Order: sequence, then structure tokens, then C-alpha cells
Amino acid sequence: MSEKNETQVQQSVQGKVPEIKDGAVIVETPSTWRTIKREFLKDKVALVSAIILAVVFVTVIIWAFFIPRSAVTNVNIIDQYLTPGTQGHLLGTDEQGRDQVKMLIASARNSLMIAFMISIIGQFFGVIVGLITGYFRGIVDTIIMRVIDFWIVLPFLMIIIVLVSIVPKYNEWTLIWIIGLFAWQGTTRLIRSKVLSEADRDYVRASKTSGSSNFMIMFREILPNLASLIIVDTTLNFAGNIGIETTLSFLGFGLPNGTPSLGTMVSAATDPTVLATKPYVWVPPVIFIIVICVGISFVGQVFRRAADARQRLG
Amino acid sequence: MTVLMEIKDLKVHYPIRSGFWNRITDYVYAADGISFTIEAGKTYGLVGESGSGKSTIGKAIVGLEKITSGQILFNGEDVSKPSVRRKMKYNKDVQMIFQDSLSSLNPKKTIYQIIAEPIRNFDKMDKESEKQRVIQLLDIVGLSKNAMFQYPHQFSGGQRQRIGIARAIATNPKLIIADEPVSALDLSIQAQVLNFMKRIQKELGISFLFISHDLGVVRHMTKNIAIMHLGRFVELGTREDIYNNPQHIYTKRLLSAIPQIDIANRDANKAKRAQVEAEYQEKRSHFYDQDGLAYPMHQISDTHWVSTPPTNISEGAGK
Repeated sequence: MSEKNETQVQQSVQGKVPEIKDGAVIVETPSTWRTIKREFLKDKVALVSAIILAVVFVTVIIWAFFIPRSAVTNVNIIDQYLTPGTQGHLLGTDEQGRDQVKMLIASARNSLMIAFMISIIGQFFGVIVGLITGYFRGIVDTIIMRVIDFWIVLPFLMIIIVLVSIVPKYNEWTLIWIIGLFAWQGTTRLIRSKVLSEADRDYVRASKTSGSSNFMIMFREILPNLASLIIVDTTLNFAGNIGIETTLSFLGFGLPNGTPSLGTMVSAATDPTVLATKPYVWVPPVIFIIVICVGISFVGQVFRRAADARQRLG
Repeated sequence: MTVLMEIKDLKVHYPIRSGFWNRITDYVYAADGISFTIEAGKTYGLVGESGSGKSTIGKAIVGLEKITSGQILFNGEDVSKPSVRRKMKYNKDVQMIFQDSLSSLNPKKTIYQIIAEPIRNFDKMDKESEKQRVIQLLDIVGLSKNAMFQYPHQFSGGQRQRIGIARAIATNPKLIIADEPVSALDLSIQAQVLNFMKRIQKELGISFLFISHDLGVVRHMTKNIAIMHLGRFVELGTREDIYNNPQHIYTKRLLSAIPQIDIANRDANKAKRAQVEAEYQEKRSHFYDQDGLAYPMHQISDTHWVSTPPTNISEGAGK
């Protein structure tokens, strides 16, 4: 069928076939994935981080499915503060006598999930607002950017704490949306600055003369050219959002009671005797947070270098 | 010949903002009182130095630049308002070829997506005939159909410019604005692309507005030429009028600046150029008003218009 059509086309344009015929492929630039791979091979620390992160994430996500809710909610005072290794508790037990390993996995799942959702929400709104303000410029840009400037100077931790205290039906989704309120401004600025330069390129003008609507130009033409920037920003924000969530939980304004979080585990250290004499209670979650956050920023640096040719190592 | 487009007293002014309140203090007169007509199937050249406003005129015609005042009549209809343009699918008939072929093609889209974009927006086609049309267009510009699935960076400059041309002719437009289409290409490729554009123009009967600063290229491409200086036309005429009988000092100066390989008469040519330059400097205050802008044009023959000072039209015509 298609072959028949081809011959028809060739016949119909015969006489129009020009003399100029050159070979197709001239330059082959390496694909994004090849660049990322090469950057990882050049940066051994990032490579190790990526492997550790992959192992940790997969373990946490799969293992968390097999931990019953009772394991993190039941209180058993008799088994309080068991040292690591006793009665089959690999990392000991906490104040309520819960197994630390199971707590760690369940907490990590919650914390990572919340940080991930906040990053998604922040990126989603940040990218949309950044596209609109950078593309339309003028008065739209001025108004939105002044609002964002104002938003950024607000002490966000304090406002989050107030909101968390006054919201009546409070669960982890409320927390995600409340933190999400303060997660998009930085992304907006970043995206806007890139869109400002992209929107001035001729392919955007060509799209306008090709009859595409502003909406189509923003999301079909410009957005794909921001992909690498968005990936980098999401990765680095993800690490930051883990920090914000654990900070809030540590202060007692994070996840509600009964939902374990890395922050609540660390907050066991607010008890002076635990801090001084029972480091096995609070050291594992601290190490976990440090490993995850540092690992993510190493990987994020690799993405950043892959996206920006001037910073590349290889 | 039918008049395709008529431009009447087109003005594009950009505000200059300054001061503490960022208020408009002055304007840049990028295009100031431009009038001309474009007939169907003909090629027009627009020549001028950098910053003379030639690209601004092209963008204003195609609808990328907001015009300050004046009218653009397309087939007798005023298309200076965006809403009118959208309603009549104006850009189906008026397309543009850009100077920088790399930046005018979206690096994240395949050639197929790029060429199919105007077809999708203006001609509602089913998938199969859209694909056939893209293959046909690629064939017209001399690229194999394998090019459909490749990305812009995989092509050379000349090939990319031909992809830009394929996109511009995709909807069978009546007028194409070519904004310095070859100035980013090297000389051998320039000739290839220019001849190719000429052939397409002849075969498809498209009008071209060819914007360039290269007089040699314009001479090769067009029969009607307008010379622009500082946002205004200084001379308008046929190729013969402009090249053989230049009237305005700026036109003379531009023509004398075309490099010549003529070693025997090198000194004579040099003296001639110096003389043209001296004349330009001497008569400058005469040919331009007190703001340094050109005067309105006056007709001196059937095809030839020149910007001359209002007092001695006859003298300018007599020369």
C-alpha cells in the first residue's frame, strides 16, 4: 500500500526533482543518555552514589510493602530500648519497643514519597508559571514576578507550622500541599530565565507564522527544550524537600502521629539520655538522611553537567 | 499583473524607556512611512545596511511585529490586526524563511514534525496524506525521505535552510518573506540555495520579498529593488534603474562598496570610491532633513522613485 503511494508521489512531482541530492547524516551528536553515562563514568563518587541510591530506593519501596501497619503503631514497653542484635532486632528497638529496621524502612518510604510528591507539585506549578511569565513577558511577567519576590521573602517554615496547626483534617496529603505551596517559586524563576532566551529564538517565530497557538508553542515547542533543566532541578529539589519534611517532622509539625517519618525517628534524640547513652536509636535515621541527600546531590550534579556542555568533565 | 499586497505608510516605532519612572522618552523609528506594492509572482528585493529596518518590515508583513500605524492590505483586505489575520488564516498565504537556519528549527523536533506543523494548522489533512505531502516537500527541496525522522542538528547549513524553505512552502503560500536567507551560509552553498529558491519561485508562482544586505545576491534574485536607509526608503526601482542609473547618494555609496576584482584599474576604482564617498559626505545635509532622515520619494520615471529634497525635484530627476 505505502509502496504504491510512494511511486505515485514520485510520479506526481517528476520534473520538480532537483539536481541537488546529498547524503543524509552529516553530524552525529551524542544522545543525552550517552552523555549522562559518560559523565557518570568520569565521576566515580556520583557513580557510587547512584548505585547506592538505586539499591536503597528499591529496597525501601519493596520492603515497605511487607511491613504491616501494626509493626509501626503497636506499643510494647517491655521491649523498650533494646540494644542492636538482641531478640532478633538488628538495630534494636525505640522508646515504644518497635523494631528499628522496620521503622527505618517505613519511615524512609513515607519521607521519600512525601519529598517526591512535593517535588512533583513544585515542578508542575513552577514550570507552568515560569513558562507563562517568560513567554508573555510584559505586564504578566511583572505582576507574577513581584508576587513571587514577595512570596520568597516570607519565612516559609513559620507559615507552614502555622498552617499545619490550624488545618482541621490533617493528613500526609495536607502536609504535601502545604509544603508544595512554597516549593515552586525557585523553579519558576529558573524556568522563566530559560524561557526568556528560548522564546526569542527563530523556531518560536516560525511556529507563530505556522499558525500554532501560544499554548501549543509554550508546551509543544519550548517545553521539550527545557527537559534537561527540569530533570536537574527536580533532582536537586528532591534532596532539599527530604530535608524540609524531616525538619518539620523533627519539630513535631510534620507527619501526623501514627505515620512514621525519618524526622520523628531523629527527634528521639531530643531526650538527653537517649542522645547521650543510646545513639543506636537516632544514629541510623541520621545516617540514612545524610546518605540519601548527599547521594542525590552528587547525581544531580552529573545531570547538571550533562545538560550544560560547558561544565562537562568528559 | 494583480496586486497581491499593498503596504501603505507602514510605521513601526519602538519605545525607548529611560529615567527613574521608566517612561517612554523617545522612539526608534525602525520603519517610518514605508509604502510599496507586491504583485503576484514577482520577486522584490529590500536592501539596506544593518539596522536600517529591513527585517522589521519583513516581520511586520508576516505578522511577527506589531505595527505602530499604517496599513497592510492583502488581496484588498486590511491585515494589520492579529484577529483578522487569524480569522482569514493569513499565514497560510504569507510565510517566512529565517536567516539562522539552526535556530529556526526546533532542536527537539524531527524534520517531519517541523514540516508538518503548518500543514496541521492550516490544511486539515488525514495522517496518510499529510505524510505524503511531507515526503513530496522533502523531494522538492532535494532531501531523501529518510530525513523525516532525523533532527535538525544532523544536517548541514544548506540542508537546514532547505528544510526551512520546505516548511515555508508547505501550505502553498502566495508570498514568502525571505529574511537574509543565505547570509549565514558560505558562498558555494549560497548559490545552491539561491538558484533553488529561484526555481521554486518560478515553478510555484510565489511572490518573494527578498531581504538582504548583499547587493550581488539581490541583483541575482530580483527585478525590483528598494533601497532602505534609517527606516525609510531612499530609492525604489527596477534592477536596471538601481544599478545603472542610481539617483540617491546612499544608493551610489552602496553600489560603490561592492568589491571588484579588477587589478588593472585598482587605483582608478579606488579614486572613484573616494569620490563617491566625498559626494556622499558633501551632499548629506542636502539629501537628508535636519533629523538626518530621508525625504519622501518622488517618481522620476515609470518604475523609478527617489527620495529627493522637496525643493529641487527637477534637478534630481535631470541628472
